[in-house]
Amino acid sequence: MKEKRAAPLAVMLLVMIYLLIPLAVSIVYSLFRKWTGVLPEGFRLDNYIALFTDGEFLASVGRSIAMCIVPIAATIVIVLLALFVTTIYFPKLEKYVQIICMIPYTIQGVILSVSILSLYVGSPTFLSNRLLMLMGAYCVVILPYIYQGIRNGMRAVHMPTLIEAAEMLGASKLYAFFRVVVPNILSAIIISSLLAVGIIFGDYVLIRNLAGTSAPNMQIYLYQTMKHDSTMASAVFVIIMLTTFIITLLVLLLQNKDTKRRQQQVKE
Amino acid sequence: MIKKASNKYLYLLALVPFLVVALLYEILPLATVIYKSFLPDTGGAFTLENYQTIASKLLYRKAIMNSLKISLTSAFVGIVIAFFGARAAHERPGKMNRAFTAVLNMVSNFAGIPLAFAYMILLGNTGLMVNIGKELGISALANYELYTMNGMSLIYIYFQIPLSTLLLIPAFDGVHKQWKEACTLLGGTPGVFWRKIAIPVLMPSILATFSVLFANALAAYATIYALMMDNVALLPVQIAGCFTGEVRIRAGLGGALSVVMMVLMLLMILLTNAISRRFQKGGARR
Repeated sequence: MKEKRAAPLAVMLLVMIYLLIPLAVSIVYSLFRKWTGVLPEGFRLDNYIALFTDGEFLASVGRSIAMCIVPIAATIVIVLLALFVTTIYFPKLEKYVQIICMIPYTIQGVILSVSILSLYVGSPTFLSNRLLMLMGAYCVVILPYIYQGIRNGMRAVHMPTLIEAAEMLGASKLYAFFRVVVPNILSAIIISSLLAVGIIFGDYVLIRNLAGTSAPNMQIYLYQTMKHDSTMASAVFVIIMLTTFIITLLVLLLQNKDTKRRQQQVKE
Repeated sequence: MIKKASNKYLYLLALVPFLVVALLYEILPLATVIYKSFLPDTGGAFTLENYQTIASKLLYRKAIMNSLKISLTSAFVGIVIAFFGARAAHERPGKMNRAFTAVLNMVSNFAGIPLAFAYMILLGNTGLMVNIGKELGISALANYELYTMNGMSLIYIYFQIPLSTLLLIPAFDGVHKQWKEACTLLGGTPGVFWRKIAIPVLMPSILATFSVLFANALAAYATIYALMMDNVALLPVQIAGCFTGEVRIRAGLGGALSVVMMVLMLLMILLTNAISRRFQKGGARR
């Protein structure tokens, strides 16, 4: 009996070790001068010091952050507006909004970037602006996550009841939606935005195909560094992974808090 | 009454921003890619030339075959590991379980260039594991060839594991403990329980996850590009090459390759849906 109980633990441990080895190795690699034998030699922090005094790296961090803010804010606004109209006034249209929002799940990455590129690259209008193409592509890529987050949030707070109650108290539907429903699903919006941050932070395909090397983000910086200096690149790697881990950790924490709050509400 | 109705339609304006973005950056681009795939790159009217090129040129045939092979294998291995991982998590709630899901969640964002980099350090030509393998005389490690199709499949499997396990864990909530007790009472061994009860119940989720994994591997680009640049016969790499290569842009050919990739994904979804329906029907027939 005891043996049987140990088996699941062993499986989980094995998978975890397998998943963590590449990460652990890269972290150690970034902290030592030489690692050609079994053990690394010469502990140092030079890589990190050099990195944080490198203007180009700091600029790439700044770009990564800036590239998150605009598409995420824009997507949240357009999805909220679309869902407001469809759920309250035109429930029949909701299905089509859902389909549009779900397509990017399957066509993300290469296909999306080359289709946008081939459509607008020769355009004489403002649409041929590479940065604009990139922002548009990011909006589409994160669409499924933002949509699902907001939709699930609406379901969890029983939106129709909430709006009815607000209306009975004299509020208009518009007011009820933006001043009652939206604040109540704020945590769902934040969680899905953080997921979207993770996606945009990790993007290489879209930015490479659409913006080229004109606006390098952290991923492109890593790619360029790893070609000539692998220890330096490992430091970039550690910083990228740390940022994404912090983002995932935040998502997990917020999700836990959210479900706990819900459970408490149900108990009350 | 009339005023109210017109008011209602006024609200449709709020849909406009959403539709503009979707149209400009999702629907129109996709439609043009499909449309252009039927136009010759040299100029002219409707043609199947691009599809003929794909069917006749060894490079593109190889790209399709390689992509299919690596996607199917990595999805299969991924789903097997995910099955045991999710089962372990299901059987053993507690601290370890929480650590397990936390690690899975964290690693699920570990893909693209960083993943390629980590594997270069680990298993590249002068990678750490390769050096250790040389020193300790483990030839499987010492002679590991990361820059080949087989070598890269390890990376594919790596990024499939967190995704597939996270997708399968909730499915195991559908396997109730009472069923296992009932099965044991009726004289079934654990093996019978898994083969005859649990796996058929889980099958729709397993199949759906499989098709997600397949699409995920088929479209994977950044990791492979970081390792091999354009020198590899894989669908996404060849597609990107048609549009961003140093030579002129071949939108027709690239479009046709994109259509092939989308059709492959669609076929997999249809296939897994069809098989999964049989399992659901089997459950309904009592």
